[in-house]
Amino acid sequence: MKTQNAILLWLKSHTTPFLLSIPLLLLAVLVQAFGGTLLIRIVTVLFINLVMVLGLQVFMGNSGILNFAHIGFMGIGAYTSVLFSMTPQAKAATLPDLYPFLRPIHLPFLPSLLIGALAAALVAALVGYALMRLSDAAAVITLFALLVIIHTILVHWSIVTNGPRTLFGVDNYTTLGISAFFGILIIFIAYLFKETPVGLKLRASRDDRYAAASIGINVVQVRWAGFVLSAFLAGFGGGLWAHFITSFSPYAFYLTETFSILSMLVIGGTGSVSGAVVGTVVVTFLREALRAIENSANIAGLFQNNLVGFTEVFLSILLILILIYRPSGILGSREIRLTSEDLRSVTASSQTDRPVPSSTKEGKHV
Amino acid sequence: MKDCESGNSHADHLIVERVTKNFAGLRALDSVSLNLKRGEILGLIGPNGSGKTTLINVITGLLPLDSGRVFIGEVEITNKPPYEIARAGLGRTFQTIRLFRELTVMENVEVAAVSRGCSRKEAKRRALQAIEELGLEGWVGRLAGELPYGLERRVEIARAFALQPDFLLLDEPAAGLNEEESDELLNMLAPIPQRKGLGLLIVDHDMRLIMRLCHRLHVLSYGKTIGEGTPEEVRRIPQVIEAYLGKRAAGG
Ligand SMILES: Nc1ncnc2c1ncn2[C@@H]1O[C@H](COP(=O)(O)OP(=O)(O)O)[C@@H](O)[C@H]1O
Ligand SMILES: [Mg+2]
Repeated sequence: MKTQNAILLWLKSHTTPFLLSIPLLLLAVLVQAFGGTLLIRIVTVLFINLVMVLGLQVFMGNSGILNFAHIGFMGIGAYTSVLFSMTPQAKAATLPDLYPFLRPIHLPFLPSLLIGALAAALVAALVGYALMRLSDAAAVITLFALLVIIHTILVHWSIVTNGPRTLFGVDNYTTLGISAFFGILIIFIAYLFKETPVGLKLRASRDDRYAAASIGINVVQVRWAGFVLSAFLAGFGGGLWAHFITSFSPYAFYLTETFSILSMLVIGGTGSVSGAVVGTVVVTFLREALRAIENSANIAGLFQNNLVGFTEVFLSILLILILIYRPSGILGSREIRLTSEDLRSVTASSQTDRPVPSSTKEGKHV
Repeated sequence: MKDCESGNSHADHLIVERVTKNFAGLRALDSVSLNLKRGEILGLIGPNGSGKTTLINVITGLLPLDSGRVFIGEVEITNKPPYEIARAGLGRTFQTIRLFRELTVMENVEVAAVSRGCSRKEAKRRALQAIEELGLEGWVGRLAGELPYGLERRVEIARAFALQPDFLLLDEPAAGLNEEESDELLNMLAPIPQRKGLGLLIVDHDMRLIMRLCHRLHVLSYGKTIGEGTPEEVRRIPQVIEAYLGKRAAGG
């Protein structure tokens, strides 16, 4: 009884991940049941984006450090996972010079994803401790340099990446169901991380690192932990994406994708998991809509020259407007949640069958 | 939750030995020594720019010192990183308030206990105690960035309490408070050192508060110690009258 009550109490104060995932779960189920191929693809990508954006939020949102290296870790996860999941025949075809010890390895999808995620986390763990000493502009520039370094290595390590050329022959394992499962799982992971001791200390260090140190927080250490978890999730997302798209080159993990994932997080709101989710949904669908407009305008020949980059320009302008007028994003740093008043009014109205006077609800979001 | 008992050294003294600190040619601290006992309230006073904040920053590791040593009991903490010094049992507040503005009042205080290894649950219990001691019960769910100014100071002090330090350094806790708020703060702070076995060092310009609260005073001027003793003793030191209490006290 007592533990049951404790669990109920805990759930009541942590409604956020449920509120965020239930609509997404419904969306996945409906699209799976009634959607056509295109819609299924879009929603699959939506959930992969969710993994990437939430992974970015875990570090960037809680530490306050703008992280340009995230997509680099996505690339590491993508390439590492496919090296383990591809059949030996496929590897022989696309990577003829591959190291002999890697050639016969052929693991199922999930272990491959995990290995990809671990590889990204390992790289983050090794380079992270030194990087996490930096703050502000120095940290941002260094993380950008890290993205460039990872990209350069992917482009030049032809033996395992096929160099700048496209790597093909990856099995298509990432279905809508799988990407939805992990997308929703990571909502819970990102939310719970904020509430762990490390997550709380990291958020404190984001708001004031001198005050954080003054109460015994080792800022470098908690940043490092957040950075490694974030890279793990990016690596995982990279693996999911690789097994969805099935052929790709290192250019998939560079500036365009960085901008895309960053804009989702910033537009939604860096400081909260809710913001990350809302930003991902809004920007993913907006981007598809804009692309459709761009394509139909071009097909109809509305303009003399084809419309190019309309989507990117539109999203950039949106990003700029958000940064000017709502710098903390659509949702800001507060999570969507039912407050205790909401919950009380839910139970009260179900007991009395009468709407609760609106005055009792006032002032809760002040 | 034994693992997050304060776990400090339980040393009886914070000892500052002949500390010197220069800022590019300016000697902000010149061989300053002081000794803070657990259970006592020591007032650190001196005119603006006399080095009070610098002394706190040097003791807590925020600024490296040029010479001298700092000990908590037998344990040397000279030039250790600030988080290690905090964990050794030394808490502080800042002259310019530093709160975690995007965290709630509860989280602000709780995180200090969490950083000592408490579980969230135990940390909440400990935080609630500190929150009650400072009369912040009505504000626990508010974001710290949304608080009225007078309460920000109190959250900072509650946070430092939740660290459960053996020694606590408060840099101008009454700055910007009106007389009533400052009296309220005085009444909250006065019984704490005895009750918690805590050594409290307070910097403030409000002489009324300092004289009523402090057992001993330490006076700085241009980075040098110019007087030490009970408030009555210090009040009679000519240099102090001249340098700090000024013409008004000298004439009256
Ligand atoms: N970071 C710094 N860099 C250069 N000079 C400083 C710095 N901090 C303080 N000072 C100087 O050191 C002296 C002591 O300052 P401070 O310790 O803040 O005095 P108080 O707290 O007693 O008012 C002042 O002259 C101040 O200008
Ligand atoms: Mg000062």
